[in-house]
Amino acid sequence: MTLRERTSPQKAPLGADDLDALVTTLQRRFTERVDTPWGETDFEALALRVFEYQFRHNATYQGFCRGRGASPESVQSWREIPAVPATAFKHLDLVAGSPHGVEAVFHTSGTTRDGGARGRHLVPRLSLYRASLLPPFKAHLLPDRDRIRFVSLIPSPEEQPRSSLSHMVGMAGEAFASEVHWGVDGSGAILREALADAFRSANKSAEPVLLLGTAFAFVHALDQHELGPLPAGSRIMETGGLKGRSRELPAAELRRALSAATGAALDHIVSEYGMTELLSQLYTLVLSERDSGIELVPPPWLRVRALDPTTLEEVAEGSDGLLAFFDLANAGSVSHVLTEDVGSVTRGRVRLAGRFDGAEPRGCSRTMDELMTAAATPQ
Amino acid sequence: MSRVFDAWALPPGFEVPERPDLSFEAGQQTVGYLDADPDWLHGLLDTLCDARTRLLGRTARDIAAALGAVGARFLDPGDSLRAEALELLPAESGLSPQMATVVLDGMAGDWGEERLRVLLAAEFGDDACLDAFVARGWQRSMATGPSLCLQVVSGSVPGVGVTALIRSLLVKSPTLLKPGRGDSVLPVLFASALAEADAELAEALAVVYWPGGSEALEEVALARADTVVAYGGDDVVRSLRDRAPVTTRFVAYHHRVSVGVVGLEGLQEAIAEQSAAALANAVAIFDQRGCVSPQVVYVEEGGEVSPRAFAGLLATSLAALERDLPGGVLDRAEASALHQMRGTAELMAASDRGVEVQHGGDAHWTVIFDLGATHLTACTGRSVQVKPLSDLARLPDLLAPMRAHLQTVGTAGLGDRATALAVRLGRAGVSRVVTFAEVPFPPPWWHHDGGSPLGDLVRWFDLGGV
Repeated sequence: MTLRERTSPQKAPLGADDLDALVTTLQRRFTERVDTPWGETDFEALALRVFEYQFRHNATYQGFCRGRGASPESVQSWREIPAVPATAFKHLDLVAGSPHGVEAVFHTSGTTRDGGARGRHLVPRLSLYRASLLPPFKAHLLPDRDRIRFVSLIPSPEEQPRSSLSHMVGMAGEAFASEVHWGVDGSGAILREALADAFRSANKSAEPVLLLGTAFAFVHALDQHELGPLPAGSRIMETGGLKGRSRELPAAELRRALSAATGAALDHIVSEYGMTELLSQLYTLVLSERDSGIELVPPPWLRVRALDPTTLEEVAEGSDGLLAFFDLANAGSVSHVLTEDVGSVTRGRVRLAGRFDGAEPRGCSRTMDELMTAAATPQ
Repeated sequence: MSRVFDAWALPPGFEVPERPDLSFEAGQQTVGYLDADPDWLHGLLDTLCDARTRLLGRTARDIAAALGAVGARFLDPGDSLRAEALELLPAESGLSPQMATVVLDGMAGDWGEERLRVLLAAEFGDDACLDAFVARGWQRSMATGPSLCLQVVSGSVPGVGVTALIRSLLVKSPTLLKPGRGDSVLPVLFASALAEADAELAEALAVVYWPGGSEALEEVALARADTVVAYGGDDVVRSLRDRAPVTTRFVAYHHRVSVGVVGLEGLQEAIAEQSAAALANAVAIFDQRGCVSPQVVYVEEGGEVSPRAFAGLLATSLAALERDLPGGVLDRAEASALHQMRGTAELMAASDRGVEVQHGGDAHWTVIFDLGATHLTACTGRSVQVKPLSDLARLPDLLAPMRAHLQTVGTAGLGDRATALAVRLGRAGVSRVVTFAEVPFPPPWWHHDGGSPLGDLVRWFDLGGV
């Protein structure tokens, strides 16, 4: 199969969506209840609209889709919309419309696994990111209250303007925080004094706290004994467990250790799953529904499928596969993303299984892109 | 597959632990392994060390003959050992039966007595130096192998484990081999056949798989071996080296990367197809899992066949190879990596007029032409990137960032510029410049990653005028 066919991007027909019309529609829909899944046809209609917009305004994606025989005319279901590999974000700016008008550029952190290569996600409208992140954040972390004191082990957006996670904490803080205490600097190093002060003043006021951090940051903070008891009603948001950079702790063990150190009940320790390439997040339901805390639930505008790693066909409900996400909040870039994360999907909810075996690589060679990137990136 | 293959071979008479075996899946094969503990391993190592005296009583040539006799059985079409190997290899390694045959022929070709004798000669000149003092230059010297050699192989390039154990036994070293997850069939068959043919030699050899990173077992093995040879990824090698005592000799075969280069003479109309076919073969052998397998090929501009057209010829050759040497089964992580690579390449092709992607659909081969400065390789499933090269002399500089990991440069059509370029490549970190035909199977006496396969294992001692 050779991909030579190339046509110039089609002009948007009169009356087709422009980004602002699409964003307005989506933002309105995102204010609906997040705990009620949308019907298939409801999601489908929006997904096809989003696809048409992305197809018409991103020549690269259009060429990719055409190479796979897909166009707005041919595609009948959101499942048939070509998914881009997450790796592509490392090599291309996948933005629909002009890359010059974007409001934010988020960079991926670059894990050891991928040799340190950084991807980036151009975000044309931050308002859509805000609209997609706030309602699930509220529903899963603050079902019982409107405001709470934030203590963050995630760097502030001022310190880390390129981190989508920092932006998320910043925007959530503006919406829901009575006050925000940043417990780390821009590099993620713990600010011992500031963190100790935050714990002291929280305990003095006896107001509950929302402690936020990556699994990596929490493991580090636990190792350094930087976490102390928190007032009753406090809760914790833990994220990024799969992509930890150093000592990896199984999620359940980390939750137990966090509970022991802070006194937060296990049903007040919520896991969040997100990635730079997706503007929506998934959460466990431990706090909102007193669920077991294993399944992650997406918001209604994000659909997840587990695919057979060879054929990319959808696997049976509950079976492990590569996770592919269709995120309407990604309207300004590309919505359908194929990841290398492995998990199963049951009634729309996701159970993560890490990565495929890969304990030992089968060959003795290493990919050249990893080596080239590693050489170009200071360790 | 219902049959379990037991991934161990112990000195004759040595008992397995009194616990049920464990198992894992390697490809389509269930592989059983021992639930070993440190005490049992100590006992095993005692037995191996006891065998050293008997090993030292034999000449290196005698050992080469004994090992070579077993090695030759893997090439004998009428031999049951070869038949068993060929039956088990495809399931364990995921290689197609045709590829498994080619790989066995290529690897076992170096296990016969004659090749081992040449190896001894290449490494030591007079191999009697392993048996007695011999005159070397101005003094008399003798070489001795490790009192206990630990060989740790990770990965699943079939045959690496056998080559490893042959090397240390040749220098009269009791050997504990931990085979790779997907390379236990050949070393276990080899050791079992050795036990039948030469029990005395087999007493000095144990093949025992355990999951990499089993700290208690590795602690024992690392503490007792005086030489450790590690084959695997950088992480595996680092982890072993960090735990080995400072006095232990450590030989590391870590991650490697190999490339190809095609010069003008190889791009003449009459022979370009031949160059492409030779390159395709080098990529396909081992389904690109070997450290010698080229991932990127630089094609000189200005030839009769352009680099872009050469990429087309390469794709045609890889497609044709699917008939004779079909690609094997990718594991799930490899299949995932291939989707990521192909999809990204297709997007890049859609965004840039110069980039072209050709692939085999369900067949795993993939050719990506010209991504500029980008590298996009999967090291799996026969995927190659073709890059135009305006000036051959720039090649060493282009490869410089990977200096620490460079290994083989496969070539075609360099003409009389080959030697001068090889000098510069060697100085830039490359350890081997060969034709594409030579790429997959280096001879036993090659300077493996720049070292000496036997020389790196021995310790010399000198005798003065006593």
